[in-house]
Amino acid sequence: MDKHDFDILIIGAGGVGMAAAMYSARLGMKTIVFGTSSGKELPVGGVITTTNVVENYPGFIRLTGEEIAKKIEDHAKDYDLVTIKEEKVKDIKKQKKSFTVKTNKGTYKAAAIIFATGTKWRKLDIPGSEEFENKGVNYCALCDAPLFKNKVVSLVGGSDSAAKDALVLAEHAKKVYIIYRGEQIRPEPINMERVNANKKIEIINNTNIKEIKGDKLVEEVILDKTYKGKNSLKVDAVFVAIGHIALSDLAKKIGVKVDKKGEIKIDHKDSATNVKGVFAAGDVTDKPFKQLITGVADGCTAAYSAFEYITKNKVQVC
Amino acid sequence: MAVSVYTTKTCPWCKKIKEFFKENKVKFKEIDVTSNQAKGKDMIEKSGQTGVPVTDVNGTIIVGFDEAKLRKALKLK
Repeated sequence: MDKHDFDILIIGAGGVGMAAAMYSARLGMKTIVFGTSSGKELPVGGVITTTNVVENYPGFIRLTGEEIAKKIEDHAKDYDLVTIKEEKVKDIKKQKKSFTVKTNKGTYKAAAIIFATGTKWRKLDIPGSEEFENKGVNYCALCDAPLFKNKVVSLVGGSDSAAKDALVLAEHAKKVYIIYRGEQIRPEPINMERVNANKKIEIINNTNIKEIKGDKLVEEVILDKTYKGKNSLKVDAVFVAIGHIALSDLAKKIGVKVDKKGEIKIDHKDSATNVKGVFAAGDVTDKPFKQLITGVADGCTAAYSAFEYITKNKVQVC
Repeated sequence: MAVSVYTTKTCPWCKKIKEFFKENKVKFKEIDVTSNQAKGKDMIEKSGQTGVPVTDVNGTIIVGFDEAKLRKALKLK
């Protein structure tokens, strides 16, 4: 191996990156994690911090996304071999047997890399969506729902996250329209039941918003189909939950292969990418079931694989 | 320097921005709009924005946790 500052360098400080760091340290690896909360990035802690309630993480029946993110971060920090820095990674280069990473504050060298960069919100791309961003077009329901107390809001999307966002919005708004392009929204059945039981939520399937209108703030959405005799709805907000885009640009810089969605292609057995010494885990990868619990497991697998790559050793674990 | 920040209890960026102020020894007033509709309305009128956090530094409005803009407005290195 070339001389380096760290054994394993992890890009991404969400739950997956922190879990990978915890496991790397258990394996004796000097580990550094980079993440940032400033700007348009998801904050340190990752996307789970924008989730109201987490009920699918074994060992914890129910807690907030922020609570579980903090627990995972604290777990990583419990190991002296782990360094966590709030720095934005700007560039990465591959040398013969090591990697050099430049951040907004320094340059670091490591023997192996784990990408746990996660995703960013997919933006709604229709007339008015950019003009009214943060003027009624909002992406973080958990953050901004309280600003729409007793208002009428719409939410675009049909996933489990969309259903959970609608439930958060219904805690504050007097009416929530879920507008979904498909035949039926498709959350986990437990959340479907909650949505169906909530009298404030009304689902409009097979429909798209064509345009968002307003003056200074959102006032109305134009639909591509008639709903209850009209092709528009008076709303005070359009919350957007139409999925995520993988943050894989840095990985691509060093030749890591991605699929057509931009998700990093990994060997699902050991979290390895096509580039030697580079591993990936969590929402940025091509694994289809994206949950904190599955990402955390893959983060630990990536850490173990990186350990094997660096030391050529195996640990007898069972 | 008068610094106030509008927040909600559930916004993760709001917690990060408060940590940033504390780390940089910036005195600030927090205005939690979670259950205060009047203050929420004030924030929207003042900033034209419906997302938190919103920071007011002597009348300069900064939306979100934007460290570079905050450092400039607060004259921090």
